[in-house]
Amino acid sequence: MNRDHVLMGVVGRPHGVRGLVHVHSYTAVAEDLSGYDGLVDDLGRPWRLSWHGNGIARLHDAAGNAIDSREAAQQMVNRKLYVPRTSLPEPDEDEFYFADLVGLDVREQGTERVIGRVAAVHDYGAGTSLEIDGAGGNLLLPFTRACVPVVNVRAGYIVVCLPDEIEVPVECFPGTDTHGDAT
Amino acid sequence: MARSVWKGPFVDGYLLNKADASRASGRNEVIKIWSRRSTILPQFVGLTFGVYNGHKFLPVQVSENMVGHKFGEFSPTRTFTGHSSDKKAKRG
Repeated sequence: MNRDHVLMGVVGRPHGVRGLVHVHSYTAVAEDLSGYDGLVDDLGRPWRLSWHGNGIARLHDAAGNAIDSREAAQQMVNRKLYVPRTSLPEPDEDEFYFADLVGLDVREQGTERVIGRVAAVHDYGAGTSLEIDGAGGNLLLPFTRACVPVVNVRAGYIVVCLPDEIEVPVECFPGTDTHGDAT
Repeated sequence: MARSVWKGPFVDGYLLNKADASRASGRNEVIKIWSRRSTILPQFVGLTFGVYNGHKFLPVQVSENMVGHKFGEFSPTRTFTGHSSDKKAKRG
């Protein structure tokens, strides 16, 4: 699949003998996977999905015929499920899909020189950060207006302003050394 | 067991100096720190720290909700390569 499609889930092992399968949903809310239009597998075949329990679903083909045997369900194991990028709702201002950000070229502010490519987007609860894969190795940047003033998804690039790194001589606090380890 | 209130929150002293210097400069800066054990204080709100996780410095943008937690809580040491799908990133 190309960049026009976004990976949304993977079909897992069969569940029972009536054609149900485990589905690993990659959406923020797992149940949302059934709500997206245009679900296709990696062979380009369209599917519709209905949930029958926690992480267990039934797949229906384009004609509306459900998979109803374990053997048929077995054929679907490890099949990836995609939706067209256009079927995702438009994000708010200053919001971007992770899938859109990954792969963008990274240009340095001022010189417009390409210094790398967005390799991953991280969010561990303290703001989003971008992992940039460049010639000098990996670089982690906070995803803020100060550090990333321009995001142009259509043109396929972001402009970054590399932050300064502050170093302050460590005062001799009792019991504290340069790396904060107690002595 | 909870820490005694009379002791106050623990924070490595040099962080306070770094935070003050960063505020004074007013520039776009990331403060690299190794002290994962330090408590996040109210005076750190609005600053960005690079918290070492044993491998790299993960950017931590301190917000009000994080006050009272430790820096290490926001810089996981195990790699998790999840799938992005419909997750959205908000520019801070």
